Amino acid sequence: MGDIRKWFMKAHDKDNGSGSKKAKPAPSSLEKSISAELQSGKTGPSGGESTGRRITSKYFASEKQKAKDTEETEVPPIIGKSPQDTKESPAKRKFQKYNGESPKASPLKKSNKIDDNDDDAVLCSSKKNMSEVTPNKKLKSGSGKGITQKPVEMEASDDEETKGTDSSLKPSGRGRGGRGSSAATIGGRGRGGGGRGGFMNFGERKDPPHKGEKEVPEGAPDCLAGLTFVISGTLDSLEREEAEDLIKRHGGRVTGSVSKKTNYLLCDEDIGGRKSSKAKELGTGFLTEDGLFDMIRASGKKAPPRQDPKKSMVKSEESPTEKKFQKVQAKSHKDLTAGASPAKQKSRTAEFSNLTWTEKYRPKVPNDIIGNQSLVKQLHDWLAHWNENFLDVGSKKKVKKASDSGAKKAVLLCGGPGIGKTTSAKLVSQMLGFEAIEVNASDNRGKSDAKIQKGIGGSNANSIKELISNESLHFKMDQPKHHKTVLIMDEVDGMSAGDRGGVADLIASIKMSKIPIICICNDRYSQKLKSLVNYCLILSFRKPTKQQMAKRLIQVANAEGLQVNEIALEELAERVNGDMRMALNQLQYLSLSMSVIKYDDIRQRLLSSRKDEDISPFTAVDKLFGFNSGKLRMDERIDLSMSDLDLVPLLIQENYINYRPSGVSKDDNGIKRMDLIARAAESIADGDIINVQIRRHRQWQLSQSSCIASCIIPASLLHGQRETLEQFERNFNRFGAWLGKNSTFGKNMRLLEDLHVHILASRESCSGREHLRVENLTLFLKRLTEPLHTLPKDEAVKTVVEFMSLYSISQEDFDTVLELSKFQGRKNPLDGVAPAVKAALTKAYKEASKTHMVRAADLITLPGMKKAPKKRIAAILEPTEDTVEGAGGETLVESDDENSVDNEGEENSTNGEKLQLELQSLNKKGMQVQLDLKGVEDSSAKKSGGRGRGGRTSQASEKKSGRGSGSATKRKR
Amino acid sequence: MLWVDKYRPKTLDQITVHQDVAQNLKKLVNEQDCPHLLFYGPSGSGKKTLVMALIRQMFGPSAEKVKVENKTWKVDAGTRTIDIELTTLSSANHVELTPSDAGFQDRYIVQEIIKEMAKNRPIDSKGKRGHKVLVLNDVDKLSREAQHSLRRTMEKYSSYCRLILCCNSSSRVTEAIRSRCLNVRINGPTEEQIVKVLEFIGKKEGLQLPSGFASRIAEKSSRSLRRAILSFETCRVQQYPFVGNQAIPPMDWEEYITEIASDIMKEQSPKRLFQVRGKLYELLVNCIPPEIILKRLLYELLKKLDAELKHEVCHWAAYYEHRMRLGQKAIFHIEAFVAKFMSIYKTFLISTFG
Repeated sequence: MGDIRKWFMKAHDKDNGSGSKKAKPAPSSLEKSISAELQSGKTGPSGGESTGRRITSKYFASEKQKAKDTEETEVPPIIGKSPQDTKESPAKRKFQKYNGESPKASPLKKSNKIDDNDDDAVLCSSKKNMSEVTPNKKLKSGSGKGITQKPVEMEASDDEETKGTDSSLKPSGRGRGGRGSSAATIGGRGRGGGGRGGFMNFGERKDPPHKGEKEVPEGAPDCLAGLTFVISGTLDSLEREEAEDLIKRHGGRVTGSVSKKTNYLLCDEDIGGRKSSKAKELGTGFLTEDGLFDMIRASGKKAPPRQDPKKSMVKSEESPTEKKFQKVQAKSHKDLTAGASPAKQKSRTAEFSNLTWTEKYRPKVPNDIIGNQSLVKQLHDWLAHWNENFLDVGSKKKVKKASDSGAKKAVLLCGGPGIGKTTSAKLVSQMLGFEAIEVNASDNRGKSDAKIQKGIGGSNANSIKELISNESLHFKMDQPKHHKTVLIMDEVDGMSAGDRGGVADLIASIKMSKIPIICICNDRYSQKLKSLVNYCLILSFRKPTKQQMAKRLIQVANAEGLQVNEIALEELAERVNGDMRMALNQLQYLSLSMSVIKYDDIRQRLLSSRKDEDISPFTAVDKLFGFNSGKLRMDERIDLSMSDLDLVPLLIQENYINYRPSGVSKDDNGIKRMDLIARAAESIADGDIINVQIRRHRQWQLSQSSCIASCIIPASLLHGQRETLEQFERNFNRFGAWLGKNSTFGKNMRLLEDLHVHILASRESCSGREHLRVENLTLFLKRLTEPLHTLPKDEAVKTVVEFMSLYSISQEDFDTVLELSKFQGRKNPLDGVAPAVKAALTKAYKEASKTHMVRAADLITLPGMKKAPKKRIAAILEPTEDTVEGAGGETLVESDDENSVDNEGEENSTNGEKLQLELQSLNKKGMQVQLDLKGVEDSSAKKSGGRGRGGRTSQASEKKSGRGSGSATKRKR
Repeated sequence: MLWVDKYRPKTLDQITVHQDVAQNLKKLVNEQDCPHLLFYGPSGSGKKTLVMALIRQMFGPSAEKVKVENKTWKVDAGTRTIDIELTTLSSANHVELTPSDAGFQDRYIVQEIIKEMAKNRPIDSKGKRGHKVLVLNDVDKLSREAQHSLRRTMEKYSSYCRLILCCNSSSRVTEAIRSRCLNVRINGPTEEQIVKVLEFIGKKEGLQLPSGFASRIAEKSSRSLRRAILSFETCRVQQYPFVGNQAIPPMDWEEYITEIASDIMKEQSPKRLFQVRGKLYELLVNCIPPEIILKRLLYELLKKLDAELKHEVCHWAAYYEHRMRLGQKAIFHIEAFVAKFMSIYKTFLISTFG
C-alpha cells in the first residue's frame, strides 16, 4: 500500500513542483484551504470558458476540461488520504456544506441555473438565447463548481432519501451540484481533449521487443483511478493498445499528449520525442512498463485488507453523486422529453419502457444532433432558400443562374447508418415549417414508387394526392401557396434493387420538381447513384467522435437511471463505430441485465463487433502465436484466423518454424520441438486438403475446419517466443512466400510452355512438357552454352545458332532455359563467356532468323510491334527435309472455323525469300501489319476477314528460297 | 538435332525395343478396325514413339505433317462461359493434346474436342468417310470428372474417332475407361536393350565407346531409354573422347535434390527446415513436378538411411505423396514430409547415440 501511496504522492509533488498556476497545497494541509483554493482557482478559468463554449459550440470539450479540472484537483488528494477516512469526511463535509450554501445564498442564480440545465441537455438552439445566458454564466458556473462535492456529503450522511422531499429551493441547488459532480466523474474517466481517438492510426510503430513475454498482472479494479497516463514510444512487452486497455481497466485514463495533469509518462525507452521533453519540462513522472505492472500488482496483492475501505471510499465518492446526478438529470430532461417530475422517475421509466431508446431520445431540435452541425446548417440554409432559388422566381433564367452558382435542386445526404441523416432531414424540415413526406424507398419499391415520383414531378397537386391520401396533402391542395412540402427519399441506394430506372425516375422528378427533395443514402459511391450524384448537393455526414457520442450516451444513461462511467461509454461509442442508433440499442440491451455498467462489461459484450474491422493478418498471426495465446478462447482464435481466410494460413505456414514453443518445458536437443513442428506441418497440409474441398467443390461449410487445421492447431502447438533463423532477419513475421513463389512458378510455366510449343513446332521432337523440363533441359542447356565456352567464337556461335534454329528456339527461349536451370549456389552457365561472344550470338541469331525458315509464327518479328502478339500465333511451315509432299498435302485444313488460304508463287524461287505477312485482327482496331522481308514484292496470301468466333485471323505465308513449293498455314486464334 | 529425336524410330518396322508389340499393332491396323488403345508404362519406355509410328502406319507419311496450335475453347458451363486454352498438335488425321494441362477444367476439353472431331470427319482418298485419331497424353492425370465424361463420349463417337490414350500408370485410369480400350503395357526396356541402343547410336555417330561405359549409363538411367540417350549425349558434349570412368552427369535438379537430402541428414533443426523449404521452393519454381521431387528426395534419403528406419520413412513418403495429390499447395506437403523425417530421424539419432 505504501507503494501506491508513494506513487500518488510523488505525482502530486511533481505537479506542484512544476509550478502550475493552481499551486495545490500538499495533501496533508488543511482541507478548508483546498476548497477555498478550488473555488477561487476554478471559477476564473471556467467562467471564461463558458462564454466561449456556447459560441463555438465546443461544448463538450470545454465542459470536460472544466470537469477535469475539478476532478484533478479533488480526487487525488482524497485518494491519497484514504487511510485517514475519518479525518477526512468531516472536512469534506464542511467543504461541501460551504459550497452547498452558496447557491441558496444567491437567488439570482437559480433562474439562471434552470436555463443552464436546459442548455446542457439541449445545446441551446438559438444565438439570442446564448447572449442572454452568458452574463450569468460566471456566477453560475462558479457556484456549480463549488457544489460538486455536495452529494458526497449527502451520501456520507446517508440521507439520500431526504432529497426527494427537499424544499423547493433545494432541487435547483442539488441539480447544480449533481451536474458538477457528474462532470467530475466524466472528467476522471474521460480522455483528454477531443478528437484524439485517431491518434493511434498515424505511422507504424515498432513492435515491442519482448512482446507477450511478460505476464500481465491483475490488480484491484480501481487502483489507478484518477491517474492520467501518457504512453510514449515502444513499451517493453505490451502493444500500445494493450497498455491502454490495461490502464483503462484499472480505472486510469490515457491521454494523447502530456499536459500538466498528466501523472505519468509511460515509456520504456527515452526516445527524446516531444512527449518526453514536455514531460521533463513539466516534471511529470516517468514510469516504465514494469513500474506500471508493479503498481497494479501491488494493489492486487495488498488489496484484500485494504481494498474494501478504499473501494467503499471511492464509491462513496462516486456512486452517490451519480445517483443524484441521474435524478437531477432526469429532471432536467423533463423539459426535453416532457416527462414526469423527478420524483416520479421510476414510474416514468416504466411508462416509456415500451419505447425503444432510439425513438425516445431521438433529437428534438437540430442542435441536438450530434456532430455534423455544419452540415445540418448547410441543409438548413439550402432548404430555407429553396423557394427563393427555384420556385418564386418563375423565369428559367433565374433557375439557370442558380444552378450556375452551384445550387442544386435536391440534396443527397450520405453517410453510414445511425449517424442521424434521417433525423436531421426531418428536424430541419420541421423547423422550417415544411411538411415532410417520407418515401421509404426500401419499403415500397417497384412500380408504385416510380409512379409516385413521376407524379410529383408532374403537376403539383394531382401527383401528391396520389402519393399519399393524407390530410395535410389535401390541405395543401387547397392552398398550395401557403403550405410548404419537402419530399424525403430515404434509402435511395436501396431503391433500384426492385425497380429498374428508379434512380432515373428520381432524377427526372428532381428536374421537374417544385418542391425540395432530400435524398438519403448510405453509400454515395454506389454504382446505382452515380447519375443521381450530379443532380444533388452532396452532404456527407461523418461519424460523430466518440466523445460526442459518449456525452450524449451519458445523458441517456442518466435519464434512464443507469450507472455508467464515461470511459465505458466511450468504449461503447468506439465499438459501434459511430453508429449512434446501435449504441443506444446496445445500451438499452445492457440496461436490461444490469444497472451498473463498467468498462469490462462493454468490452465483453461487444467483443465480436470490433473484431471484424481492424485485425490485420499480421496482428492475427501475432496473437495466435503470442506468448499468451494459450489463454485465448476457441472462438477468439477462430475469429483471429477468420480475419483473412486466405492470408492468415499462409502467414502461419511461413512463420510457424520460427517459434519456440512455450508449451515444452524441457526440451533436450530440440526433439520435442521438432516433433511439434512435424505435427504442425501435417496439420497445415491438412488445411490445404480441406481448402481444396472448399474451393473446388464449394464446400464452404468446411471453412471452420480449414481454419482449425491450418491456423489454430499449428499455432497452439507452437505458440511461444519467436526467434530468427537467419542472420540478418528481422524478428517479425514474414509475409507468406507462397504467393510470390506461386506466381513465379506460373510465369516460368508459361515460359516453359512457350519453349515447348516452339520445340514441338520444329517437329523434331514430340516430348511432353514435363519430360522436356525434367529430362531434356539439362542437355539443352549444355548444347546451348557448352560450345560458347569451348569452341572458338565464330564456330561456337555457328553451332549454337544452328541448334537453336533447328529446334526453333528463340532468344527468349534461350533465356528461359537458363532461367529454369538456375539454382541457388550454382554458377550461371554463361559466366565466363566473353561479352563479345554473346553479342556475336545475338547478332548471328537475328541474322539467321531472317534468312531462316521460320517455323513458329510468333518468332517472326513484326515491324512496329515490340513483341509478337500476346496471343501466340504459331504457323508451321513445311520443313525442308520433306520430300513427299503433294500439292494436296500442303494445305493443312484447319478445323471448323478457320480459313486457310494458301497462295504460293512459284516464280520467285531464285529471288531469296519473301515473306509477306498480313495480320488482320478484327477484334479491336483492325490492326494491319504488313511485313516485307528483303523487300521483294510478291504475291501475298490475302486474307479476308475471318469468320467464326470473331477472333483474330492471321495468316502467314512464307516462301522458302530454292524451293518451288512452300506451304503456308494460317493460324487463327 | 538431339540424338533422342534423331534416332527415334519413325515406323513400326524400325522399332527395335518393343518389336513384338509393334508387330501386333501393325496387324491390328492392317485389319482396318482399330479399337481404342491405352498405352501405359513407365516414362522413357517408348509409348510415344509407338503411338507416332502407329499413326504413321495408319495414315502414311502425311501424319508427320503436324502443326502446333494454341486452341481456345469457349465452353458454356451453365452460368458462364469459360475460355480454355490448350496447345494441340494436329495433322489432317490426328490430334494430340494433353488435357490435364487445363487443370480441373479438363473435362470440358475432353468433351469439346471429341464433339468437334465428330463434326468434321475427313474423307479419305477412296471417298470413304474415315476416322480421326485423338491422342490424349497423361490420361492418368485427368480429373475424375474428365474421365467420366470421356467414357460416354468414347462410346458415342467411336465411329468417328479412335482414341489413343497414354499414361504412366493405369491404376489411376478408371476401370470404365480401361475396359473400353485395348490395354497395351509397355515395359521399360531392359538394361541390355538400352546398351544395345546406345551402342547402335555410338556406331552411327562414329564414337569410340569404352567398354562398360554404355552399361554404366544404362544402369544410371533407371530403365528409361530417353534418359539413357540424353545422358549419353550429355557425356558426349561434356567430354569426348570418352574415358572409361567418366562421370555420368546427373540432371541439374537431381543434383540439387541430392544436396537437399544431405542437408537434411546433416542437421535436423527448425533452421535447417527453413533452409530446405527455400530450396524446395526453388525446385518448384523451376517447374520440377512435386511428385518427382518427393520421389527423388526419398530415394536420396534412403541411400543414406539406417535400415531400420527405411520402412517407416517410406511409409510417410507415400502418405504425404498421397495427400499432396489431394491438395493443391505441394510445398506444404513436401515440407510436412521433411519435418516428419527430421523428427523421426532426430529421435532415432538421439536414442541410438545419446
